[in-house]
Formats: sequence, C-alpha cells, structure tokens
Amino acid sequence: MVTTSNDLLTHSVHSAQPAGKAERDLSRVHSFASDELFTGGPHVLHEPNPYRRMLMPDAVAEVDFGAPLLASEYAGHRALAGHRILGTFYEAETVLLPEQGLATLRGDFDAFYGPRLRRIRESCLSDLEDFAFSFLAGEVEVTGGCTVDVLEAYFQHAVAEAEQGESASLAAIAGASDPAVAADTYLVQLALDGLTEASAMSRNLGGAYGPEQSALFKIFIDEFGYGVFEAKHTSIFSKLLRSRAMQTHVHAYWNFYLAAPMATNNYYYYLSRDHAKFFRYAGAVTYAEAVFAPGFVKMIETYRGVFGDEVDLHYCEEHAHIDQHHGRITRDQVLLALARRHGDGVVPELLRGIAEARLLGAWFEEDTAAQIRWADSIDRHRELGAAALDGDAVAAGGTGGSTARGTGGSAGGSAGRPQRVELAAGHPFGTRNHDEPVVLQLADGEADLVTTATGRPHRLVRGDAVLVPAGRVYGVLAVSPRCAYQLHGAAPVH
Amino acid sequence: MSRVVVMDLSRHNAVLAGHERYFVFEQGGRRELVRDRCPHRGGPLSLGRLTPDGRRLTCPWHGTRLTTSALRRTALPMVRSGDHAVIVFPDLPAEVPVTPVRWRILANLPPPAEAPTAGGPPAPEVSEP
Repeated sequence: MVTTSNDLLTHSVHSAQPAGKAERDLSRVHSFASDELFTGGPHVLHEPNPYRRMLMPDAVAEVDFGAPLLASEYAGHRALAGHRILGTFYEAETVLLPEQGLATLRGDFDAFYGPRLRRIRESCLSDLEDFAFSFLAGEVEVTGGCTVDVLEAYFQHAVAEAEQGESASLAAIAGASDPAVAADTYLVQLALDGLTEASAMSRNLGGAYGPEQSALFKIFIDEFGYGVFEAKHTSIFSKLLRSRAMQTHVHAYWNFYLAAPMATNNYYYYLSRDHAKFFRYAGAVTYAEAVFAPGFVKMIETYRGVFGDEVDLHYCEEHAHIDQHHGRITRDQVLLALARRHGDGVVPELLRGIAEARLLGAWFEEDTAAQIRWADSIDRHRELGAAALDGDAVAAGGTGGSTARGTGGSAGGSAGRPQRVELAAGHPFGTRNHDEPVVLQLADGEADLVTTATGRPHRLVRGDAVLVPAGRVYGVLAVSPRCAYQLHGAAPVH
Repeated sequence: MSRVVVMDLSRHNAVLAGHERYFVFEQGGRRELVRDRCPHRGGPLSLGRLTPDGRRLTCPWHGTRLTTSALRRTALPMVRSGDHAVIVFPDLPAEVPVTPVRWRILANLPPPAEAPTAGGPPAPEVSEP
C-alpha cells in the first residue's frame, strides 16, 4: 500500500460500522478536521496564527468516534486525535487574536469563527465530549453516605497524597541525558494552559451563586493580574518561555502537546461549558489549586537544578505563593462553602470532581514522563527498532515499558504488510502517535524524526529504524526532495 | 474524627474495622462497601445469595431477605478511581485497627435460577437495616 502524508494510515477501523448516528458524527468531525485551517504547514512549530493548527485529518480518519474512549487509551491515538479537535472547539469559544495584529490574518479569523465551522462545532460538540469523557462515569465512582465531613477528609487525603508523591515528569527530567530538552518538553505541556490561562474558569463567573461566586472571582482576578497585563499569568508564563528561547504565541507548540495534557486542559472546559457539572468543576478546581503550590515548589527545585539562574521562574514562584491562598480560598470559600450551603446532595459531585482531577493529573504526569524518556533515548530505540525488524525478541526497556519484536504486520499490529508513507520536501508537518508500538523504518531518501519541540531532530537514512512505543508522539520531516518510510507493527512479547 | 483508608480493589474486597466487617458489593456496575452484618441476627451477608429477581439478598443464617437497596444504604463513603478506592470511616477512633482483606463473596454471584428453599419458619423480610 502506498500513501501520501495526507492520507497517512488510512486503514479505517470504522469502515465496518453500520450507518447511523456514530457514522454521521464521524463525518462531521472529519469535515471539521479537513478544513484548510487545520491541514498544517511546512514548519515544525506553528506560526503566530492562533486559528491554524494541524489536526492531521488523515489520522483523524482512522478514528472511530462512535465508540467512546476507554481509560486505558488515555495516551493513545484516538485520545490525541479527539482531544486536538475538542480543544479546538473549546478555544473557538474564546477570543483569540494574534499579538502582531489581524491585518494579514483576517481571512483566517473569519473562517475560524465563521458560520461553517461554527455549525459543525455546535452540531457535534456534545457527542465529541461524550466520546472523550464518558469513560469517567465508570472509571470514577462515589458511593456511600457523603457528608461535608467526608468531603473534607477525602480532600485532605487527596492533597496530602499529591504533596508527598513524586512528579513523574520532574523525575524524568532529572534523569534525562539531556535535561534541558526534557525540561522544555514539560514546559510545552504547560503552555497549552499557560498561554490561555483561566479561560475555562471564566465561564463559571456568570450567574448568581452567592459568596462562593465572589470567592472564585478573587482567584480569577489573580490569574488576570488584577487588570495589569504584565502581571497576568499568561504574561509571566511567556517570560519563562522567553528565558528558554522558546516561542510565546498560541499555539506554537501545538504539534507537541500530548494526549493526556490535552485531556486535562479540555476537562476543565468540559465541566465549565455545562453548568449541570458545576459542582464537579468546583471539586476539580479546588483540587487543582491546592496541589499547584507544592507542585510548583518541586518544579522550581528541578529547573534550578537544570538551568541554574538562566531561567525565569517568576511564573512558578508566583504560583507557589499565590496558590497557597487559592488553595485555601477554594477549599474554605468554594468547596466546603458550597457543600454547607447546598447540602449533602451535592457532595458526591464535589468528590467526583476532586477524584477526576486527581486521575487526569496523574495521566498528565505519566504521559509527559513517557514522552520525555522516549525522546531522550532515541539511540536505544534505534537498536530496538533494528532488532525488532530482524525478528529478535527485544526488551524495549525504559520508555514504553513494553517489549517488542518485528511482526511484519501493519502499523496497527494486525497481520498485513507494513504501511508505506511517502513525503516530499516542504510537505505539511504534523505529529501523531499509535495505539500499539510500531517500528518506523526509512525506506527511501533521508528524513528527520522529530520527537521534541526544542531538541535536535534525529536524522534517518535508508534502512534506519526506530521503535516508537504506543502513545509516543512523533513527526517525520523530509530532508531529501522525496523520502518514504514504512511502519511495521511491533507486537508485545509476553 | 473521620478515618481515611486506601484500598486496592484488585487485591482486596473487604475490610475489617475493629469488630465490624464490610465487603464490596457489586451490582449494576457499581461497587459499594457495605456492612457485612444482617440486621436480623448479624449473619454474614457477604455469604448470602441474591434472589432470582436480583432485588434481595438472602442471609445464609436464617434466610432473612434484605433488599439490595437497604444493603446499599449501609455503604461507607467511598471514592473509587479504577481499582484505587479511598474509604472514609466517619467517627472511627484512631486506635481501632482497620485491615483490608480478600475473601470469597457469594453475594456478588449471579442469582440462582430458583430461590433456595429453607426449612423451618418463614424467613423474615427486612427492607431497612
């Protein structure tokens, strides 16, 4: 099978699905992802244009949106594809304007917010949310007689657990052979929220819900720097990025956002869009605010260890300080106050929000740590890839936590020929991942394997192979005028 | 004073808290940590069987039938995420030992085709613990 980059891996797992609601939903989502705004450009980083982001429409075409995501798929291909689209839907309900002005981007502005894409969004947003988050109903469960005292006890337990626990991402940075690039990879994941900070929260400020509304507003005005742009959290996050010589525009690093961090960001929009979920939001945001302060203390320690005084950590110091107050305010004046005012009937939802935020936060860490470890050990994964193609059982130690051998199967791991992908220099650049481990082998020409936003790419020549563990995000950039690579399924060895 | 206990449901399905026992009762996709004590004479409900309609649990001691909704009302507060469960014991003194355990729970088996027959006097029906 020969494909171009724009119909990468077009084996359609949904093709056997009977026509019906799910099929219609898929076509609408795919129609959105295929819009010219979302088909990518030749650069690895996105240009300063918040309306264009690569949605990899041909990778989206593989996704069966009729079957909801499973918890076990949190870092998988369906999760990444779905959350990229969902995040774009949500951000289309916020105001995004480029710092340099709209002069040359007016057409993109009109298309991004225009009626065609808006109608698609409105027609399938709820279904896409259901696809992305309905697993939470089974994965998290609150039972038994829940009171304010139970809520307080559980909250204290969850926060203490986070304070005492190790950050998987920070541990991966500390253990990386190139800790600077590893640290940048973590910053990239934070940039997803850091450059549009508190946008989801803003959706909970309207209405009338008493003193708890005013308490939440206090946090909101802190996030927005009390009306002083230079003090806005997005501004001080940009200082952190600039100190690392990184881009500060929305969303320069779109291609490098991972599935679980995107899910975490989308989760707060998900709860904030539908006010039937307000009490879940209150639980989730209270947990987040409570664990931010100790989390940023750990981040400061790690980043000082990597960069010394060469990095601007005002953003982390601000959070380490102000989130102590936010943690207290949300706990006492939002979480517990809502429970006392509205009774034990709302406590299960508050508890659910805490538990869901805890779960997604853990996945954020694990997904990011796995990407850091893999991108930091590509040489080892070249050996594993070559060994897998030779048919030797190999231990894929470290990053993916899996073992693999060449199967000669398709990229999906089932029987069949490997997928062949052809690229020409200057082709649209995008990144993707796979649900199963694959071996990427360059068949013709030369190409760069891109696994991080700031690290050097890995040059591949004909015959070179790299094991890509399940979930790991990569892109391929043609170096020669034309190149081709194959994706071989790599099955776990038990 | 509330006590918080963490339990791995892939390893444990019951808890001993002092002289009280609780077991994980599974029905309709929900897992709840309910009291393992029949309100009649304290029999181990975890060894009881569901009636054929699945709506009652028959205590193995005297055949007392307890509605599953009444059983669920004895549930301790529990927040489950996957197999990670956090249980909050309201008003459990710190010195009372709490031990997660695993044992066979017949109450979670599918209901038998026919109700078990019991000799002696009619079994009492209990709808409230």
